[in-house]
Amino acid sequence: MNVLTLKNITKSYNSNEPPALNDLSFNCQSSEVIALIGGSGSGKTTLLRIIAGLEAPDYGEVILNNDTLNSSTVFVTPEKRDCGLVFQDYALFPNRTVRQNIIFGKGAMDDPSWINELINMTGIAGLEKRFPHELSGGQQQRVALVRALATRPLLLLLDEPLSHLDPELKESVRTELLKLFRETKTTVVFVSHDIEDATAMADRMVVMHKGKAEQIGTSNEIYKNPMNKNVARLFGKTNFIPIKLIPNAPYSFTEKESNEKLVPVRPHQWRVINDPTTDLPTFNGKVKSVINQVSHKEVEFETSQLNITLHLPTNQSVQADSKLTIAYNAEL
Amino acid sequence: MKYFLKLSLGLSFLLCVYTSAAELNVYSHRHYDSDAILFKEFTEKTNIKVNVVKGSADQLIQRLVTEGKNSPADVLLTVDAGRLHRAKSAGVLQPVKSKTLRSNVPKSMRDPEGHWYGMTVRSRVIVYSKDRVKTSELSTYESLAKPEWKGRVVARSSSNIYNQSLLASIIAAHGKDKALAWAKAVRKNMARAPRGSDRDQARAVAAGLADVAIMNTYYLGILANSSVAADREVANKVGVFFPNQKDRGAHINVSGGGVTASAKNKKEAIQFLEFLTSAKSQETFGNVNYEYPVKIKNNQSELLKSWGKFKADKVNLSILGANNAEAVKLFDLAGWE
Amino acid sequence: MAAYLIKIAQYWLRFIKHEFYFKLNAWTISALVIGLVLFLPMAEVVWHLTMPAESWEHLRDTVLGQYIKGSLILVVGTAALSIFLGVSSAWLVASCKFPGRKFFEWILILPLAIPTYIAAYSYFDLLDKLNPFLIWIRLNISTEAMALVSDAIVYPVTIIVLASVLYPYVYLVARAAFIQQSNQCIEAARTLGHGPHSTFWRTALPLARPAIIGGVSLVIMETLNDYGAVKHFNIPTFTTGIFRTWLSIGDLPGALRLAACLMVLILFLLILEKWLRFGAKFHNNSKSDRPFKPYELGQIKSFLAILCCLFPIIIGFILPISRLAYWASQTIENVIDSNFLILTANSIAIATAASLITVLLAIFLTFTSRYFGSRTINATNRLAILGYAVPGAVIAIGILLLAKQVNQAIGWIMTGSLSMLVLAYVVRFLAVAWQPIDSGMERNCEQINNASRSLGVTAIRSLTKINIPMLRNALVAAGLFVFVDTMKELPLTLILRPFNFETLSTKTFDLAQQAQIPESAVPALCIIIVSLLPLIWLNFQIRNTEK
Repeated sequence: MNVLTLKNITKSYNSNEPPALNDLSFNCQSSEVIALIGGSGSGKTTLLRIIAGLEAPDYGEVILNNDTLNSSTVFVTPEKRDCGLVFQDYALFPNRTVRQNIIFGKGAMDDPSWINELINMTGIAGLEKRFPHELSGGQQQRVALVRALATRPLLLLLDEPLSHLDPELKESVRTELLKLFRETKTTVVFVSHDIEDATAMADRMVVMHKGKAEQIGTSNEIYKNPMNKNVARLFGKTNFIPIKLIPNAPYSFTEKESNEKLVPVRPHQWRVINDPTTDLPTFNGKVKSVINQVSHKEVEFETSQLNITLHLPTNQSVQADSKLTIAYNAEL
Repeated sequence: MKYFLKLSLGLSFLLCVYTSAAELNVYSHRHYDSDAILFKEFTEKTNIKVNVVKGSADQLIQRLVTEGKNSPADVLLTVDAGRLHRAKSAGVLQPVKSKTLRSNVPKSMRDPEGHWYGMTVRSRVIVYSKDRVKTSELSTYESLAKPEWKGRVVARSSSNIYNQSLLASIIAAHGKDKALAWAKAVRKNMARAPRGSDRDQARAVAAGLADVAIMNTYYLGILANSSVAADREVANKVGVFFPNQKDRGAHINVSGGGVTASAKNKKEAIQFLEFLTSAKSQETFGNVNYEYPVKIKNNQSELLKSWGKFKADKVNLSILGANNAEAVKLFDLAGWE
Repeated sequence: MAAYLIKIAQYWLRFIKHEFYFKLNAWTISALVIGLVLFLPMAEVVWHLTMPAESWEHLRDTVLGQYIKGSLILVVGTAALSIFLGVSSAWLVASCKFPGRKFFEWILILPLAIPTYIAAYSYFDLLDKLNPFLIWIRLNISTEAMALVSDAIVYPVTIIVLASVLYPYVYLVARAAFIQQSNQCIEAARTLGHGPHSTFWRTALPLARPAIIGGVSLVIMETLNDYGAVKHFNIPTFTTGIFRTWLSIGDLPGALRLAACLMVLILFLLILEKWLRFGAKFHNNSKSDRPFKPYELGQIKSFLAILCCLFPIIIGFILPISRLAYWASQTIENVIDSNFLILTANSIAIATAASLITVLLAIFLTFTSRYFGSRTINATNRLAILGYAVPGAVIAIGILLLAKQVNQAIGWIMTGSLSMLVLAYVVRFLAVAWQPIDSGMERNCEQINNASRSLGVTAIRSLTKINIPMLRNALVAAGLFVFVDTMKELPLTLILRPFNFETLSTKTFDLAQQAQIPESAVPALCIIIVSLLPLIWLNFQIRNTEK
């Protein structure tokens, strides 16, 4: 069953500028975790605020559990939406203790055992009497989460939940969050700019670029079969090879501007070929530069037609200006 | 016994408060002690409580206009016929007929239709330094425009109604063009840009900054009876000269009052004006505020007598009012701030 | 082209739908009505500009030039002197170490407690003190020279009087700017070989410029609003001109046109300020940056610094206060009677009422605009707070015009009622309360209110449980500022006060107008004492937050 349905959401702040959100639609099933991913200016936070009701779209509909929240004639105020929102900087009430923060929401007091359960699940028991400024960043985030979940929202929205955390903490928080979402069977939409976070936590992701949903799917689908250059680049450096050079490639997309079919090839999908009789498509060319990295060597490679980036094992010896033959291996 | 006395005093005070059924609301421009004394006497005599709003006459008139027929005011008291005339033409006063008022106030000191009645008279005169000016040098207001007075005259701002009425009387006597020339010349003769009160003009003359000042008589009375020694000294150093004695006479003006168009207590208001113009009240104005009574000859104050008798300009005071706006504009043209 | 127009039209339709349909509720409707009502008096003034003004040509040809000249001389002179006094003392207490620095730091703001007209009265005889000098000129040079000097001398005297009590506006912001300035910038300047002078002129002052301009604009507003002091020194300015045209010439439309000229002048200055403050984000350094290390001054330099800080305090506070205190001690028996107690009570009561209502309205308006994100309410709020830029006399005229129309329309008489006076104070001082509350809400409450909304909490609960407790200090400060400003207010109170109603400020003015300046010292001192209390509280607050 769809918990959240977005139809043709369009929003512009200024009539002279391109819209912040442009005809965006997707839906979200019960207990599903969805990531909105994109760079800055992609409109992902605006979309989150529209779902929460903090902003109104110009066009389009937001439907939560069969209730229309936004349409051309309807606007349900944020207070009346069954959404919990966790802010990037947590937005805890500084003048209220942890407990007072948690029970502030509408209906939060109805079920004390639920609150206790949440407190235990997140491990913030014992902090109830403290004030927000007496907590660490991680603790503040948990309080904000519990506060949002205490009202038993149909949908939980999180704005960049992991951006304030240092890398070591990040991994454990990811796991904790996921565990919490699963145990509480919460439907979640969260915003992230980090593909790793999105991959680790989301069932599906919505890749956004300049206000448009470029692609929707699981991380694996999107990684393997990106719809365009922008989506492909989300996962790191990518070479775009015209399909006529590698006709057997399993995935390809049509570039809109040039109407050219391109194959996204990741730098690690290349191998140096010593045996010229391979079936794989090969390219001859010259090494332009070599940069040593921890797990691999990053090589800039130049053929008569293309510039290619490839990652080679650290034990492979390559010199700049040397000539090489490389092959594309889709299995890698 | 003492206790009983206090109690009865308190009770009678309360009774006073509660039995003074009638009230009178007065808008007054006059800030003088004499008025407070007389209002109190009036209340004691008639049991009518007097509520006063003090303010500048111009503001009070504007306020009466704005409040229209809903205004709570019964009486408007102000200085200067110019303002009384302005109040009349703004339609905030009503005509009143009272034999007592007519006999108390001479004809030239009241509005022909009875919209307002004079209460006191003041004369705008030349005050001179006894050390540096001989009375033979002084003659008329007009003579102050002569070049020999260059840098020797002080007077207050042209925003002041007394100056406006003086200029209005000169307009009445000589016409617009000559009045403008006079204002220009006198402004050029000034020892400093006009500022301060009439009293400050006397102080400037006493200090030696200037030799003559244009000011109202009663301010000298206030200075002469001041609690401040320096002010009494000022009064000693200067003399009063009534100008134009050989032609139209010294410029005089009245302060007075009228019953407002909206008056809810008309009877009490008339009673109040009659009280203020009664012979006894007139004496109080003279003794406390050094103003002449509306019947100048009835003057009882020794100080006023010491300045001598004088011939007053007979021009009808309502003409001053009619010329007022013109006078303000002439001052602007003359550059008299 | 057509497509573009359609796009614009759609945009506006959507805007109207969002603002007036989706965001319509009891809060936004009442905020809209309140904002517009508070703007009405100013709208009345603008509306009446279309009336024919008989004396306008006369005014334009004779006195308008004088009013512009007088106002501009005062504005430029007062602003320049305020900058000099404010910035020099601010730099000394912020950047140098000398005995008594902490003491000077806060005592330098005290002149703020003295309204300009009271400062003028306390120096009423300053011009007379110059008489011997003028007489000397007459005897030794010429009468013409004396007349010239005595005509001109009133300007510098008035400027000194105004600047001596207005410079703290500059001092306060300049000091805060110097203290907040990044240590790194100053140290960089020093390592680049700049001495203290060069550091000040080339680094600290340019960095503090936007803040200083903000302070100066307050000085200018106060100068243009002043009526008592310029009336006392009889300088032709717009305020005295408005009173004169309205009341002496009896030409209200003419007075309104003068008021409009003044408002244009103020608008021009506001735009100039915005333009000059361009780059106001100079000092958003992080808080962790240490304030820069003060210069240690030697004995002689310390002595000079102390003199430099003492000078503004002496002319702006100690001298006026001691003169007033002396006069008050001479006249207190004549002045203090039951009436005086009543008018003191009047002042306190009306100032309390005005400050409470103003603060309540300010928090309601800012909260509604921000909480519901309504651009309409934001716009009407901006209109409502314009009153602070409009001189009290103009607002009073606007209120009278409004009262007249109400009276004609429904026969309800507003003039001479306390509620109208309070309304006038609210119109005039809403910005005083609005400013700290709004910036506090912007800083502290924006995100929190969003959180509160997403938790399904009602607006009233957000306001009372979150916003008001969070903004407690800002609310108290706002209330105190309005209270003090109301206590000090003169022109508006003079015009609108009701029957039998006197306040300390009108009493001071009345007595001074009757040349009873020694007597006026008693109410004047009362105003100053009441105004001092919030300054002391404010200082206490600043100290606390600095710790």
